[in-house]
Amino acid sequence: MKNDTGNKIKLGIFITAASLLFLLSIYFIGTRQHLFHRTLLVSGIFRDASGLMEGNNVRFLGLNVGVIESISILSDSTVKVDMQLDEGVQKFIKKDAQAIISSEGLMGNKTIRLTPGDTGTVIKDGDVIATVKPADMDMIMSKLNTTATNAAVITNDVAAITHNIRAGKGSVGKLFSDTVFADNLDQTLVNLKYGMKGFSDNMEAAKHSVLLKGAYKRMKKEQRVEKREERKEVKEEKKEEKKEDKK
Amino acid sequence: MVDATNTQKVKSKQHSAEAMTQEGFSLFPFFIEIASLFLFIIHFFKEALRPPYEFNEFLRQCYLIGYKSFSLVGITGFIMGLVLTIQSRPTLAIFGAESWLPAMVAISIIREIGPVITAVICAGKVGSSIGAELASMKVTEQIDAMEVSGINPFNYIVVTRVLACTFMVPLLTVFADAIGLMGAFAGVNIKGDTSFSLFFFQVFNALKFTDIFPAFIKSFFFGQAVGMIGCYKGYNCNEGTEGVGKAANSAVVMASLSIFIIDMIAVQITSFFL
Repeated sequence: MKNDTGNKIKLGIFITAASLLFLLSIYFIGTRQHLFHRTLLVSGIFRDASGLMEGNNVRFLGLNVGVIESISILSDSTVKVDMQLDEGVQKFIKKDAQAIISSEGLMGNKTIRLTPGDTGTVIKDGDVIATVKPADMDMIMSKLNTTATNAAVITNDVAAITHNIRAGKGSVGKLFSDTVFADNLDQTLVNLKYGMKGFSDNMEAAKHSVLLKGAYKRMKKEQRVEKREERKEVKEEKKEEKKEDKK
Repeated sequence: MVDATNTQKVKSKQHSAEAMTQEGFSLFPFFIEIASLFLFIIHFFKEALRPPYEFNEFLRQCYLIGYKSFSLVGITGFIMGLVLTIQSRPTLAIFGAESWLPAMVAISIIREIGPVITAVICAGKVGSSIGAELASMKVTEQIDAMEVSGINPFNYIVVTRVLACTFMVPLLTVFADAIGLMGAFAGVNIKGDTSFSLFFFQVFNALKFTDIFPAFIKSFFFGQAVGMIGCYKGYNCNEGTEGVGKAANSAVVMASLSIFIIDMIAVQITSFFL
């Protein structure tokens, strides 16, 4: 009899623990789906649901603040999406808030992203908020296609140019491949060096010639006067500073 | 002498071949089995609703079937969670989606592995023991003795066991799921570094009511199938000790098979409605 009671106690603990686990799991799943929070219903009218499904998250500032309650087709070009939002975020979302359909990464689920809005009045239960047309994947792909076509044209041109260069065509090609041209260039540089030295010597000789001597002397004088004035200014500034320090 | 034995062998072979063509490929025994199982189920529901209710025997069976299977189901659940996580990691790593590991494992465990593994283990442990117990009671004429002494043997033996199985397998499934998720947590942390709170968040973020309720409801049917088939095989076993072994064996085989058939039907129904 004693043993029977002990078994019943064990069985009771077993059943209670399993039931608790089950109820807790229901509670946690319900919490994630905002079932046990006070919520407000807000709708958005989109032109395209973009694969949005009931139960997808609604995000505000990167946080999950609600779920999509239902999606229904309003007309041949509009879809109404009802969102259940946590009542706690009501004060942050204004009437001119916008809903944008986005996705969690490349392979992730679709979500609705809410922007806060600027006006003073906050949204109320049953409000319809503005929506923004999501970036269409097809449009992005077509733009990428144009970019890729342009890139192909550019690379073709570059390939033709490098081909010409390698073949020794044009001045750049000659520069790279023609040895005679390179020798000529080298000789030209040598000549230029000698030429420049000769020019420098000529200028030095001109300084001492009768015709230009006066002009050079005047220039030197002016330079000396400028230097003296600069020194005087510096000295005066130093004196003033010393006086101020003494005061 | 040798010739005589050879001719005997040939004759017996011919005889068995004739028997095969006459009976072996016939589907009649199968249909008879199905019909008698159906009648047994109807009998069960009739008796289950009719008093007296053997509540104490029901609790005793719950203890034996539920509490006593807990350790086995728990260990299996833990290992399944751990192994599933370790095996799934490389495939997810190819896509760079290792952070989805807890969500994927949780859905697999809760939707499918937890209920099915628990039911199959119960079919092996509980179904065979019920089959053997009832068969030996039948063989030793204990059931007849009960009838003589005025106790309704069906109510006392079958109804209590089937009901205990029906209610205990879902509870064991809940434990198997919880322990399996702990195994998955251990598996995630063998090669990675995920905190318990993050794991917990990812698991419950991935789960929905449509994952938990169909799995929980189908485990009732699994439990009922295990109990019903165990009792049916034991209650209708052939005379002799050979019948006891046969009853236990066929109870396990048939219960396991019926679990998978019920699972297949449950998946079809779930996908039809959700």
